[in-house]
Amino acid sequence: MLDIETRERTAGSERKRILDALIAIAAEHGYAETTVEMILQRADLDRAAFDRHFRGKYDCFLSAWQEINETCMREMLEAYNSHEEWPDKLRAVACEVVESLRGDPSRATFSVEVLAAGDAARARRDMTMRVIASLIDAGRNEMEDPESVPHTTAEALAGSAYGQVYSRIVQGRGDELPELVPQLMSTAVMPYLGLEAAMEELSRGFNPPARYRRGVAKRTSSPKTDDVTSAEGYPPELSRLPPGRHGLPREFVVHNQRERLVAGLAEAIAENGYSGTTIAHITRHAAVSRRTFYEHFSSKDECFVAAYDTVMTELRDRVSEGFEEAEDWPHSVRAGISAMLGFLAAEPHLARLCMVEALVAGPVVVERYDAAIKSFVPYFQSGREGRPPEILARLSPTTEEALVGGMVSLISRRIIAGKAEELEELLPDLVEFTLTPYLGSEEAAKIAAEKG
Amino acid sequence: MPPGRHPLPREFITQHQRARIIAALAEETVEKGYRAVTVADIVRRAGIARNTFYENFSSKEACFLAASEYAVTEALRRVVDAASKVESWPTRVNAGLAAFLHYVAGEPALARTCIVEALSAGPAAVDRYERSIQAFVPLFRMGRKVSPKGDELPETLEETIVGGIFWILYQRIIMGQTEQIEDLLPELVEFSLTPYLGAEAAKRTSAEAPPAAS
Repeated sequence: MLDIETRERTAGSERKRILDALIAIAAEHGYAETTVEMILQRADLDRAAFDRHFRGKYDCFLSAWQEINETCMREMLEAYNSHEEWPDKLRAVACEVVESLRGDPSRATFSVEVLAAGDAARARRDMTMRVIASLIDAGRNEMEDPESVPHTTAEALAGSAYGQVYSRIVQGRGDELPELVPQLMSTAVMPYLGLEAAMEELSRGFNPPARYRRGVAKRTSSPKTDDVTSAEGYPPELSRLPPGRHGLPREFVVHNQRERLVAGLAEAIAENGYSGTTIAHITRHAAVSRRTFYEHFSSKDECFVAAYDTVMTELRDRVSEGFEEAEDWPHSVRAGISAMLGFLAAEPHLARLCMVEALVAGPVVVERYDAAIKSFVPYFQSGREGRPPEILARLSPTTEEALVGGMVSLISRRIIAGKAEELEELLPDLVEFTLTPYLGSEEAAKIAAEKG
Repeated sequence: MPPGRHPLPREFITQHQRARIIAALAEETVEKGYRAVTVADIVRRAGIARNTFYENFSSKEACFLAASEYAVTEALRRVVDAASKVESWPTRVNAGLAAFLHYVAGEPALARTCIVEALSAGPAAVDRYERSIQAFVPLFRMGRKVSPKGDELPETLEETIVGGIFWILYQRIIMGQTEQIEDLLPELVEFSLTPYLGAEAAKRTSAEAPPAAS
């Protein structure tokens, strides 16, 4: 037992040493010039160690990039959730990002270098950008008429903020980043809160957060800070399994308890967000004892992963069912999206859990989140079959990933805005958006407008 | 160009050759991605001799840079042309952006080469990105004259507007939505004018049809 743990820890630190070395070397020498030998020399490890963790230089680059994005995403969402009001939330994100880039210059340089590694690296970056756009877009909730700002605005603001930060890093002007923050904030706030609020942002300057984490692959430690509320003493109106013998087979009870814990977690998260949720919250919502929790899960993270897997399995089943029932590809896409929206709208807590909170819940889940997004790619890819060459010519290797990403970002925006119940209204837009590259806008609009 | 005697002025031939090489680079890039394209591919696609390529460009990168400069110059020419036909600054932005989107939609390969690569090719691309942004910045900076806040506006506002437009186009191109690029006009006009005129006036201008692009 102990042996396995020790081995796992060694493997983890070996991997981290390689990734840290890669980031440092690539920041100095660039993507093309970096070799596996250089990385290993810096990490003081042998080739066998490298091969245990990576398939090659490219794989290693992408893994490092993946972890940087995950860390960044988690830091951003934590910063966002650390404030109550929207412009403060967004400002916390901007400060966090700049502070963490400045705290770790080779990570910043690496983030630029890695783009030379190709489409996959770029697609990963774009996903992070979509999350940033959602955080900006939440500004519309502050408006009297939330629909009055075009949805492209947030996307444009996120993209150009990225461009400005990126070019300052490359040009070695990283020290200008703090003064850039109030400017970017001012411009981002303007469409939603108006000119006066924008001018106020300008005068605010740069307020870095008190604490921030640096480096890649920082794992969240399992929470030890739960309060000690016991599961006894729940109000009787909370349904719970009667204690003692209940004549149900043990398997069923266990299964049932797990499901209740999963549902309890989803409710607790809907109420407190992931970071604010304690095990006591979960057990209270699930109406089971703390001991029962620990019989099933060793930590909040583990429970979250189980919850995430359960939700995603269900979601995938519904989508694939919908997809397979329709008679041709475009209608399959329509049916799949419709099934997805239907499920998420009916289960707003679960929707929030898998589309929003998954991004802040730590590396294990973010990896799954990525895998989940990728699992929807083949549905769209099959739309390439039999298309004429002039259509295929306008598709790029990552079109499908971008489509899924764009779709997920539209959905999560609604969920962040607390409008999960209205998700089904998105159906025509999403159908048109995803079919257009393959069918052209006219045909796509026609299918999008169909009833039923 | 057919070999042998041709009565065209040398200047014209060079121009023509360069444009053809640039077009070939763009088409090859769309097909296999910039990194995979070789000078041999460009030469084959353009139907020219390898020597001719090197008479015009020292390397693939130089050719790429020229492509990007060519595209920016062409786009800028059309924007200024369209904008100069109308009077007020907001309608100029409307007309200019319409011309810009029309150009991008009409040159999908070139647009994809320049816009996508500039935002994805690592440090080497930053210069190109910066140059393209800076080329359009002055057109928006004029808006400060009609804004009540003028010079108090954030210094990087124009950079944000141009960069934002590029990013939106980048996203649409990546997603294979080149067909609808011109449909983005009202949203982008509203996005660019709001900081100067306020949301209402910006929305009003964006709702007007731009003067017909010739």
